[in-house]
Amino acid sequence: MLFLKDSFVELNARNRAKAILDQGTFREIVGPFDGLESPHLVPQGIVPQSDDGVIVARGEIEGEPAVVISIEGNFQGGGIGEVSGAKIAGALELALRDQENGIRTRPVIVFDTGGVRLQEANYGLLAIAEIGAAIVALRQYVPVVGVIPGKIGCFGGMSIAAGLCSSLIMTREGRIGLNGPEVIEQEAGIEEFDSSDRRLIWNTIGGAQRFAAGFVDELVDDDISAIKEAIHRIFRKETVGSPRSSQVDVYRSFFASIDLSQPITPNKFRELWQQHIAGKGVHSPNSLQTGMNKDDEVESRGRTWFYALAHALKINKEVPSVLCADAMLGKEEVRYIAVVPNRHHRFYRVRHGEVGIEEGWTIAKYVREVIEADQHGKKRAIVAIVDVPSQAYGYHEELFGLHQACAAAVDAYATARLAGHPVIALIVGNAISGAFLAHGLQANCILALNDDHVNIHVMSKKSAARITRRTIEELEEATKKIPAMAYDVRSFATLGALHELIDGVNADIPQVQDIDKVCNRLIEAIQTARSSPRDLRNRLASKQAQKGREASILVRKKLAEQWK
Amino acid sequence: METLFFEYPATKTLPRRAHVGVVGSGDLEILMEPSAEARTKVTVRTSVKGFGKTWAKVLERFFTVHDVAATVKINDFGATPGVVTMRLAQALEVSQDNAILKR
Repeated sequence: MLFLKDSFVELNARNRAKAILDQGTFREIVGPFDGLESPHLVPQGIVPQSDDGVIVARGEIEGEPAVVISIEGNFQGGGIGEVSGAKIAGALELALRDQENGIRTRPVIVFDTGGVRLQEANYGLLAIAEIGAAIVALRQYVPVVGVIPGKIGCFGGMSIAAGLCSSLIMTREGRIGLNGPEVIEQEAGIEEFDSSDRRLIWNTIGGAQRFAAGFVDELVDDDISAIKEAIHRIFRKETVGSPRSSQVDVYRSFFASIDLSQPITPNKFRELWQQHIAGKGVHSPNSLQTGMNKDDEVESRGRTWFYALAHALKINKEVPSVLCADAMLGKEEVRYIAVVPNRHHRFYRVRHGEVGIEEGWTIAKYVREVIEADQHGKKRAIVAIVDVPSQAYGYHEELFGLHQACAAAVDAYATARLAGHPVIALIVGNAISGAFLAHGLQANCILALNDDHVNIHVMSKKSAARITRRTIEELEEATKKIPAMAYDVRSFATLGALHELIDGVNADIPQVQDIDKVCNRLIEAIQTARSSPRDLRNRLASKQAQKGREASILVRKKLAEQWK
Repeated sequence: METLFFEYPATKTLPRRAHVGVVGSGDLEILMEPSAEARTKVTVRTSVKGFGKTWAKVLERFFTVHDVAATVKINDFGATPGVVTMRLAQALEVSQDNAILKR
């Protein structure tokens, strides 16, 4: 006899939340009748949805209080805008408040999202940073469970958020990756990734592959009871192992052992991973990348400012694309970290200073070294010097779990911040997309040079135009109405997330007085960070944010009122 | 995007508010709320321009058959008239179900 399955994937986001919660306990908060739709879509001629594509539902899971956050993939590809992003971040922040008050609210996130909603760009980026920060904080108390059912899957910055979860559940139909196939094809060419090749896509980033390669914890059938049981199993466990994003040594030694002289097939990758965790992997004594001569050092603003600030005798160049040094700043020692180009990088898609597999995991290592060393002493400040053109767009990067590498960096910075380390980001050049999420956006304070070549955005104009099916001219027209879509740092400043915009500094060739000025601003920021809350709430408390992120604030207020 | 307004006379109050659908390809979202006035007021926001006459016919037909005083908001992403009518009927049904549940 044939038993039909009860499909979870076919349900809309609201019914998915209902299905996960115990029967009869579903209660939606900040729902369709609360009138909180996106304020940014109508000016661009796009029909909004009354819940902005995110359902936040209170209820119970096996009799315990719970919150299910479910993203509607059918509305704007599940893209995260200001309102939908604030709903997710705000709900997680309230779940965290519950834990601090001794209430063990169980959080579940159903990811069905293409990542940042390009029409709201930097609003989405900021929200995703806040979502990541909340997951890392919440995870200390209760497992944060992610479900990736399909059909959209989980992409962009939200794949990084998923990579921070305590446990991930996936179906075969689900996919997870930092860059969607179309974006890789646009940025790197069809020979890098053919976005029309469905088999290639699922073999690289689909549920079965991700499970076999250790990136998810449970592979389940598309069946309501199977998914519910998987969620129950996770919450019933006494202890959940350390999250993937904090297993820095395991992953660093794994990637060091991989020989990239030949392309790695998805099957080969599974095999290598299985061997590695069984302790049978090839142990390479070599460092991740080959070293560089001084002559090979490609100029970049990141490198220039790193050398200007970290005038240290000992610079760690073990991984040439991630510079790290401890140096005196005023009266205290500070750790500086910068991502820079390495033209001989064995991963050819990161040779211009992009954040790739080795960069993400190495940043995590350098940050965690500080956390460990200062465990019982004064918490050293960490300064991320930000000049990152983007994350890496490549086949190997996605196969190797670039979202997980970026999550590792996010996790490390957020953990350092929560432990009391002042984390400061200094934007001296580009701060784009997933690269900025991984390196900079978890900081207590973000400083930026007020310079025309300081850009903050989520995607190149070409790709953004392709994905949103508009011309570049139409896209540029839209940026005039929505400051969050603009690329320049002054527009970004209106969103209130910058601690300070530093004027009158020569960003390309800093002089002594420029360096002094920046040092003074850094010292001030470190002091501010030491006396401020360890979470990211300051970003919404700033004067600019009251206007620039009005909806983000309002959504959180409404959520708190209806949370109970 | 285009925004359209329609109004029809009505006598019976909608039992309870109802929400159905998604603003996804070929679909639409409907929010229906009871109205104190003896009228049905419909606001349509649609991604497809130039179909005002079709909307007028579909809605007039529906609200001639169904006498409900309500405020109706429709967010449309290219639904066909058949889908629109089906979603409207679903919204009425959900409204009645919600009323029974509440009792």
